[in-house]
Amino acid sequence: MVEIPGAVTVKVDVEDLNVYYGAFHAMKNAQLRVSERRVTALIGPSGCGKSTFLRALNRMHDLTPGARVTGSVSLDGMNIYDPSVDPVVVRHRIGMVFQRPNPFPKTIFENAVYGPRVHGEGNRAKLMAIAEKSLRRAALWDEVKDRLFKSALDLSGGQQQRLCIARVLAVEPEVILMDEPASALDPIATSKIEDLIGELKRDYTVIIVTHSMQQAARISDRTAFFLLGELIEVGTTSDIFTRPTDKRTEDYITGRYG
Amino acid sequence: MAVTAASGIRAVASRAHRQEFVAKLLLRSASIFVVVAMGALLLYLATEGTKLFTVDHVSPFQFLFSPVFDPDGRKPGSLVFIIGSLSITLFAIVIGGPFGIAVGVFLAELAPRRFVNMMKPAIEVLVGIPSVVYGWIGLTLLVPLIRTLTGSNGFGLMAAAIVLSVMILPTVITLSEDALKAVPDALREGSLAMGATRWQTIWRVLIPAAGSGLGVAVILGIARAIGETLAVQLVIGNASVLPTGLLSATAALPTEIVIDMAGAQQGSLLEHALFSMAFLLLLIAMLLILAVRFVMRRRT
Amino acid sequence: MADAVLTLEAARIQSARGVRARRIADRMATGLLWAAALSVLAMLVLFMGYILYLGASAISWQFLTSPPSEVSAGGGIGPEIYNSFYILIMTLAFTAPIAISAGIYLQEYAQPGFFRTLVQFSAESLATVPSIVMGLFGLLIFVYLLGWRFSAIGGALTLTILNLPALMRVTQEALSTVPRTYREASMALGATRWATIRRIVLPSAIGPLTTGIVLIAGRIFGETAALIYTAGVSVAAGKGAYDLNPFRPAETLAVHVWYTHAESVVPDVARIGNGSALVLLVMVLLFNVFARVVGRFLTRRFTGKA
Repeated sequence: MVEIPGAVTVKVDVEDLNVYYGAFHAMKNAQLRVSERRVTALIGPSGCGKSTFLRALNRMHDLTPGARVTGSVSLDGMNIYDPSVDPVVVRHRIGMVFQRPNPFPKTIFENAVYGPRVHGEGNRAKLMAIAEKSLRRAALWDEVKDRLFKSALDLSGGQQQRLCIARVLAVEPEVILMDEPASALDPIATSKIEDLIGELKRDYTVIIVTHSMQQAARISDRTAFFLLGELIEVGTTSDIFTRPTDKRTEDYITGRYG
Repeated sequence: MAVTAASGIRAVASRAHRQEFVAKLLLRSASIFVVVAMGALLLYLATEGTKLFTVDHVSPFQFLFSPVFDPDGRKPGSLVFIIGSLSITLFAIVIGGPFGIAVGVFLAELAPRRFVNMMKPAIEVLVGIPSVVYGWIGLTLLVPLIRTLTGSNGFGLMAAAIVLSVMILPTVITLSEDALKAVPDALREGSLAMGATRWQTIWRVLIPAAGSGLGVAVILGIARAIGETLAVQLVIGNASVLPTGLLSATAALPTEIVIDMAGAQQGSLLEHALFSMAFLLLLIAMLLILAVRFVMRRRT
Repeated sequence: MADAVLTLEAARIQSARGVRARRIADRMATGLLWAAALSVLAMLVLFMGYILYLGASAISWQFLTSPPSEVSAGGGIGPEIYNSFYILIMTLAFTAPIAISAGIYLQEYAQPGFFRTLVQFSAESLATVPSIVMGLFGLLIFVYLLGWRFSAIGGALTLTILNLPALMRVTQEALSTVPRTYREASMALGATRWATIRRIVLPSAIGPLTTGIVLIAGRIFGETAALIYTAGVSVAAGKGAYDLNPFRPAETLAVHVWYTHAESVVPDVARIGNGSALVLLVMVLLFNVFARVVGRFLTRRFTGKA
């Protein structure tokens, strides 16, 4: 299920990835090469393991008691699961946006600069610059520039999610993981997020889990289809949607199951 | 210490990591302290509590089963206090147990929102009232009442049992309420959908389903009752004789300890006997904890 | 097991006979339960009214500030009130760092396993130990072993061990009110666990945590059995009763209530008892109200803005 990348470099290389929750085998032998500066969509019905796969890419399973990961996930050639690797640093370089917007109960400014703060940046002027830069890139600056020191919880759902994206951008990652980022939002907010993703891919590698095939078709360059804990097929988005190789992919695309 | 992409992803000894290490160390030490405290408690009380047998050569059999409490004559039989403790606890749980469970059921299933919000602070206040105050209410209100109603002098088992049952109410109520709230809604809805009345649902389905939680409520109510000292001491009459009826004055393990410890010389037989009683209370408390764990594990 | 219960009940319930009887039973049971709940409320009102009624006449400035007397009438509770607060603050100062730390460790760090079970079991056991037994332990360690005799600090340390489990539980419950996604988001941004706890989790939990602490403070204020043989039943004479020396005997208000009724020979026992009970009750109520007010204020401040 691997395609020749061509002129694009491989940013993240997943080999023989297995994830276990206790005795439950949630992800079986997944292989995937993620191209740099492209949007790769992970699709599949509920419970197929796409979120499990995504969380393995920034070592979020470390936080789940009873979860076990085998195989390798290489960032620029270095396996992030190597024992000498610091998960904290991994998460500087691979950021994550969650399904439900989860801004901290702090001001908008504090949310935006949380990442740099925990990494040791204390200079107020620098933090302001970082905040402005990230909020601009997340297409939120104009809406919040006059109320940076108000509570982030007062923002609308769509704004909160863009704030969460700004939060991630502030740590200057190279890869951005998104777990159904628009599923809790209304259509207008969703389309704003999708436009934003289109912009982000100029500078970042984006991997996005989505339950909406239409969304995957709209915004992604490459698509991977998951089913029951297995990665079934991966290819360019147009190939997957128009000429899928595997029957199971075709059944999903054509709506045989949800 | 901003990290750039070029620095790779090897572990970096940053300030954050040092803080993490120190924090984890301190937090872990605090947890170890808790274990050490409990261990020390067990150790010291076991040591001092067995001196009656090891140093004074009193037989455990006499200590536990003899009704004659005469420390000066080397006869520290504590049967009176053991029976006293068991009796008042039994009566307290027989009165307070069902009553507390009933109120707990009420709060979880029947009470309107606003009533529950009023009861919660009320129960918190009841919990917060110091045991001496309960004892004092018992002394000044309940004992004269019993005196007029029955002609006895008012002190004794009944007064102590009533005071205790009031004191364990908040514990039993809160735990019963929690136990019922933990029963899944599916059972409630299933029962009502079959045409059962509210009460039938509660009595036949919910209470059995909450069985283990209610068991825990009762066990912890017992634990509270057995260890209660001051309130009981003020109303029980403090006579070192076996109770002959509900109205007879008697004594319990904690009350005897608190009364006689003041006059007990360090190293004397009396002091050792009192520590043995304390050790016995400790063992009973640990037994109750194990009972709670056992009940919790048995839930289907 | 629950399914089996439901099926059996279905069969019984379906019978058309006795619908009316069941409805009557339902109404009776509901009535009984209401009565039970209302009687609990009535009890509270009765107690409070009783204490207020009896104690009001005993309260006077003189009563609240003068020292107790051993044999004659006219003693007051001034030093006892001071000691109650003194020991309370000392106890909280010792308990809070240990209990909150242990609570944080159990809730945020500890993996399921032997150590975790051991700590939880120790805490549960400590919670069930009767306070008189704890008082005797304090007697052994602080009065006999360390030779401090009756002292405020001995009492405070005994109360510390007594209250560790309660404050641990309060901490754990407060931490559990913080949504998991906050921790996930923080760690996904590259924060360590401790940084996450310090910056996000603790500030969010501060409301319920403080409420719990103040409620526990209320219980410490009324603690008696553990203090009788550690802090003693007397107060230092004269001005020495109001100092900061932790190594002197320190009878608290609650202990004084017991002492006057159980041992003392003064003729105005009733007056002292009534007045002290009222003061104790007022303090408990104040602690309860304060706990809620402060909790709500802190929650608003720490989760709305900064």
